[in-house]
Amino acid sequence: MRPTPAAWLLLVPGGLLLGGLMVAPLGLLALESLREFVGGRVGGQADRPLTLANYAELLNPAYALYFWETFRIGALVSLLALIFAFPIAYVAARTPRRGLRKGILGLLIAMLFLSVVARLYAILMAYGPTGPLKGIAQLFGTSASSAAFAEVQVMVGLLHFVLPIVALTLIGTVQNINPRLEEAAMALGAPRWRAVTGVVLPLAVPGLLSAFLIAFAMCISNFVVPLILGRGVVLFVSNLMYIRFSEIANFPSGAAIGIIMLVLSFGIVFGLTAVIRRLWPAAGGVR
Amino acid sequence: MTSGLTRRQWMKGAALAGTTAAVAGPGLVRPAQAAGTNLMVVQWGAAWIDVSKKIVAPYEKETGDRIAWELHAGGAMAIVAKIKPNWPNVPYHVISCWDPVFSAMIKEDWLEPVSVAEMPNLKEIPEIFFQKNAKGQLMSVPLSTAGAFWGYRKDLVDKPIESIEQLLEPRFKGKICVPYPVNLTGLLLVTLAMQRGGDERNVEPGWEFLKELAKRGNIGRVINNNSEFINAMSAGDVSVAFFNNGGWSVVKDRFPVTILNRLKDNKGFLYNEGFGILKSDRTEAAKRFANHFARADVNEMYNIPLGSGPTNPKAKVGEKAADFYYTPDELAQYAHVADFGYLSAQVNDWAKRWETEIVPLLRA
Repeated sequence: MRPTPAAWLLLVPGGLLLGGLMVAPLGLLALESLREFVGGRVGGQADRPLTLANYAELLNPAYALYFWETFRIGALVSLLALIFAFPIAYVAARTPRRGLRKGILGLLIAMLFLSVVARLYAILMAYGPTGPLKGIAQLFGTSASSAAFAEVQVMVGLLHFVLPIVALTLIGTVQNINPRLEEAAMALGAPRWRAVTGVVLPLAVPGLLSAFLIAFAMCISNFVVPLILGRGVVLFVSNLMYIRFSEIANFPSGAAIGIIMLVLSFGIVFGLTAVIRRLWPAAGGVR
Repeated sequence: MTSGLTRRQWMKGAALAGTTAAVAGPGLVRPAQAAGTNLMVVQWGAAWIDVSKKIVAPYEKETGDRIAWELHAGGAMAIVAKIKPNWPNVPYHVISCWDPVFSAMIKEDWLEPVSVAEMPNLKEIPEIFFQKNAKGQLMSVPLSTAGAFWGYRKDLVDKPIESIEQLLEPRFKGKICVPYPVNLTGLLLVTLAMQRGGDERNVEPGWEFLKELAKRGNIGRVINNNSEFINAMSAGDVSVAFFNNGGWSVVKDRFPVTILNRLKDNKGFLYNEGFGILKSDRTEAAKRFANHFARADVNEMYNIPLGSGPTNPKAKVGEKAADFYYTPDELAQYAHVADFGYLSAQVNDWAKRWETEIVPLLRA
């Protein structure tokens, strides 16, 4: 059915809002990324010719490290979030005990209400070099004041941040899978773990992918977790952008990093979705 | 539910109020309050905002002006990034900042010139403290003489530090706290360069020193602002640092601290902090406000908790500032006033070198 003119009209407010809030600022960001920066001045110089220098300087191999670290830590934390959140979501969705379900949901929602900054400082106080749990660093073969343990702390901080959201997303996914399929598998002799891994998990792949992408997007764009827990040695791309914009007023370079990050993120999201669709065609991709 | 006040009661009340005002005359409404202006002032957090609020409380009553505060997020340069896209439609009227940020704002032509004619308390402040524009006009209201120095917590260091060359020793592994090179406009690099015979125009020896510290794993923490510095030094996981006297002053309140500002082979840095008056339709009130802070007794009250030196010579120097307050004889030997105009033009390149050459070493 072709949309009627009235239906097109209904799209206008949303389109204007999207254009005003998203497209126009992004366009300005792209323009700023092409401007020349003069040390000691503020922002790009509008009266000088446009340049690709801000992109060229990012070709320095050292910058690949920042992008790699951001994506690597983001992917690892998102994967851990799925591993920890799926059992929570499964129990919340399948338990016959209403009290337990309410308790899990209440806890997950309460975590969202707790300030991220408060949670991060709690982690810092507990696991930091003077915290009571600093000995945990030795389990990783390092000290609590090392860069390696700063990375572990950043991962824990990000996990705190995304775990409730991933779990809440997956509760819906599990609820949408007909429980009779598991019951049928178990009636045919499969133990529960086999029914879950053989029936529920494959059917949950689109939901898992959605949850992974949400967590991944939240991780790679995160700024405050590496800022507080990274001890200045674990820096995400967003931290580089912040330094460019806020500390040295080099808007063009900050904008160029932002545009590159946007392109890479879109590439990864669409690439991952395509791979999943190819591997699980029956799942139908992201729902 | 309707209001308990009827129209008749309201009319009665209004008539009574009008009669009272007419009988009592204008004395009931203070002229200053009627003419009061709302000002938005950007200030640093911690001790800066606390003392500013104390100073402003009686000032607001006296003048009728109402001061709203916004805190700097990170270094003072961050406010520049907030102003640029919106200039001239910004909500700020007065900005607390320091020499390099004054330089950036003067280059952008955002600041209103100040003069003794409009702000009489400025006549007591030595002219050398003021930032000037190309026309030679005074562009800042200097309130504090501050500095950046190496220092350490005596309770965490086994034997005294006499030269920052000692920071390469294994006992300082993970114990050194440094600011990002963009913080303090790269003074960290300058101090390291000076240690090896360089200066702000020849920082290459400083980069080499920094690389040695990073390679040996002695840099344990990189901080971005006063609060992070105070937290890091208070937690005790780092024991030696390079930072400003404001941060050191707070740490010194809690722990035994030695400030290394009279080293034989290095120098401390001095600079000024103060107010910049942004061009706006409220410059008269903004100048009135800044002039108040330049008054000797207020300048003294402002600087004592900050551990900074006053710029008004009639103000007394607080105990905490005595540590870094050099006598005229000491200035040449122990203090260095960097060329902040030059530094602020270099800091972009230095930040990139830090990201590409030092951070990978810190992660290794």
